[in-house]
Amino acid sequence: MWENFAAGSLALFSDPFTIAIFVFGVMGGMLFGAIPGVSMLTLAAILLPFTASLTPAQGVMLFAVIYCTGTYGGAITAILFNIPGAPENAPTAFDGYPMTRQGKSGKAVGAAVLCSAIGGVASALVMMAATEPLANWAIRNIGPPEIFALVFFGLAVASSVGGRSIWKGWMSVLLGLIIATIGQDPVGGINRYNFGFTDLAAGIAFVPAILGFFAVSEIFVQAEKKATGKFDAPKVGMSFPSFLEIWAHRIAVVRSILVGFFCGILPGIGATLAAFMGYGEAVRWSRDKEAYGKGKLEGVISSETANNAATGAAMIPLLALGLPGGALTAMMVAVFQMHDLEPGPLVFYNSPELIWIVFAAMFYANLSILFIGLVETKTILYLLKIPFQFLAPMILLLATIGSYIGRGLVLDVIVMFGAGIVGFLLRRSGYSIPGIVLGIILGKIGEQNFAQGMQMVHYDLFTYFSRPICLILIVAGSLTLLAGIYKAVGSSRSTASQ
Amino acid sequence: MIETGVWLIICIIFFTFSFEFNQPIEIYKFGATGWPRVVLLLLLLATIGNFSYMRIHGSAVQKGRVGIADEDVSDTDYRDFGALLKVTGVLGTPFIFAMLLKPIGFYFSTPFFIALIIILFGERRVKWVLGITAMIYAVLLGLFMVVLNAPLPQGNMSPFYDYSALILTLNTQLQQMW
Repeated sequence: MWENFAAGSLALFSDPFTIAIFVFGVMGGMLFGAIPGVSMLTLAAILLPFTASLTPAQGVMLFAVIYCTGTYGGAITAILFNIPGAPENAPTAFDGYPMTRQGKSGKAVGAAVLCSAIGGVASALVMMAATEPLANWAIRNIGPPEIFALVFFGLAVASSVGGRSIWKGWMSVLLGLIIATIGQDPVGGINRYNFGFTDLAAGIAFVPAILGFFAVSEIFVQAEKKATGKFDAPKVGMSFPSFLEIWAHRIAVVRSILVGFFCGILPGIGATLAAFMGYGEAVRWSRDKEAYGKGKLEGVISSETANNAATGAAMIPLLALGLPGGALTAMMVAVFQMHDLEPGPLVFYNSPELIWIVFAAMFYANLSILFIGLVETKTILYLLKIPFQFLAPMILLLATIGSYIGRGLVLDVIVMFGAGIVGFLLRRSGYSIPGIVLGIILGKIGEQNFAQGMQMVHYDLFTYFSRPICLILIVAGSLTLLAGIYKAVGSSRSTASQ
Repeated sequence: MIETGVWLIICIIFFTFSFEFNQPIEIYKFGATGWPRVVLLLLLLATIGNFSYMRIHGSAVQKGRVGIADEDVSDTDYRDFGALLKVTGVLGTPFIFAMLLKPIGFYFSTPFFIALIIILFGERRVKWVLGITAMIYAVLLGLFMVVLNAPLPQGNMSPFYDYSALILTLNTQLQQMW
């Protein structure tokens, strides 16, 4: 492994043009991740045609680097403005934004930098050491029933976080699931809920939905505060977390690495569910559950470690099996195809140099997060000093461009602003915006895998749930669900008896 | 009651429209409607659960819930008509801007949109409104049109379309200078 890694590093740093692409990927991923309204997906979509003029190794490496640094970059806006740069940064905002309001933005961003780097580097190391055996294990043990079961578990975790009651948590998730059914059904390709709009046949793209529910609704919330005289500009806090503060959360870091890696390795699941589950597990094991959502450092640490731990793991099904784990890895498949290559087991034998340049680049990209992140953090924190009346139009326009560029549809911009208004109203009523977004993202994946699983087992539910991993995940999800309902009913009874 | 009513209407609309695509799929027993209808049934059950919870607790946060920022527990009272008007303006302006993108285009409508949002957010100094509007417009055009060549809506109505065409021609001439 180390010889291959050294060879990959040498290939990466011996060519000035490849170094330039690496640096561009690191800076571009961080920048697009950190600018409210656009994301690493926007950058990747813009760059995709240009990768045709690069070598296959440079093209795939560029996207892998953007994936690592963009996942971190989105945490900055989540912490500073409550606007996650990508869905995988949504749980970071739960505690990161309250920390900003309390003048602890430096601590939150510093923890995000450090833990993103730790999660990413750990994930890159495991990826280098065990891509082939892990891929073989996954192909033998993970099928559509397991992926559906994990989606169910993830949705159960998401429903337990964010809404004012378990019911509102589930209603948010279910609203997301029903929005995800708009467009063609994943089995027969039949148009559903297009309400007479032909553009809706392609479904609701998740980028406009995310931008609307997070970025636009946050602008509306701040507008409401301005209008009612309750606006309070966030305080700039420059103090970073000390080594001891991070060390005190070492168990959360290790747990989140494991959770993130497991989620990342599963095709279609990726970093978003990893972040939610990392956060959910931190809450589950904590003695001070009530403090989550009110500015607890461990919330930021858990979510940021888990989502970056998923980045390396997401490359395993892509490179070893040819299965993309999310939107960005799907674009990487397009890069392979542009160069007449197919990701999959043969790549390891036909183009080992490509694989090891990508592995080495991901390792160094995660290390770069640490160094560049710490250097740039102090500059980024000054964004908080820009008066909100000047920041708001910028964010709204970047979100407009970000949602239009993906498919070139004005409908997507309308959907985004519509989602913003709906998100604003739902937030006021105590529903969970991250729950809705996770429902939209996982809805199609869940339905597709449920259908494939049912076809596999000839509609025999007993066989479906007799698979051990599937059974464990379904039981864990059901327990999470039942525990939430039990608490809701229990609190109703105690209130009634009083 | 209103909240529950809205959710019930959503369930009814989606259930009614599900008959539009109620076709069998040869390879899949549950067809195209199976999944959405199960989700709707669960949504209905959750709505009933929420209704009974809210009857007892009102809109209070359930004990032990996590991830709820203070921001999300709004208690804004809209007795001040001016505040209501301002919020409605901020909510409506982006939506109108989005609706106008197809006929008028991004290039023409954007400066007006920027200025309007800045004013709605309370800025009254004319120099600042104009200066910041020009700066944001220039930065966006510089980044997305000149550097990234990203295609943005041009509009389909004269003279707005002609304005977009002029901007794009200037961009092409600028690119050719390099």
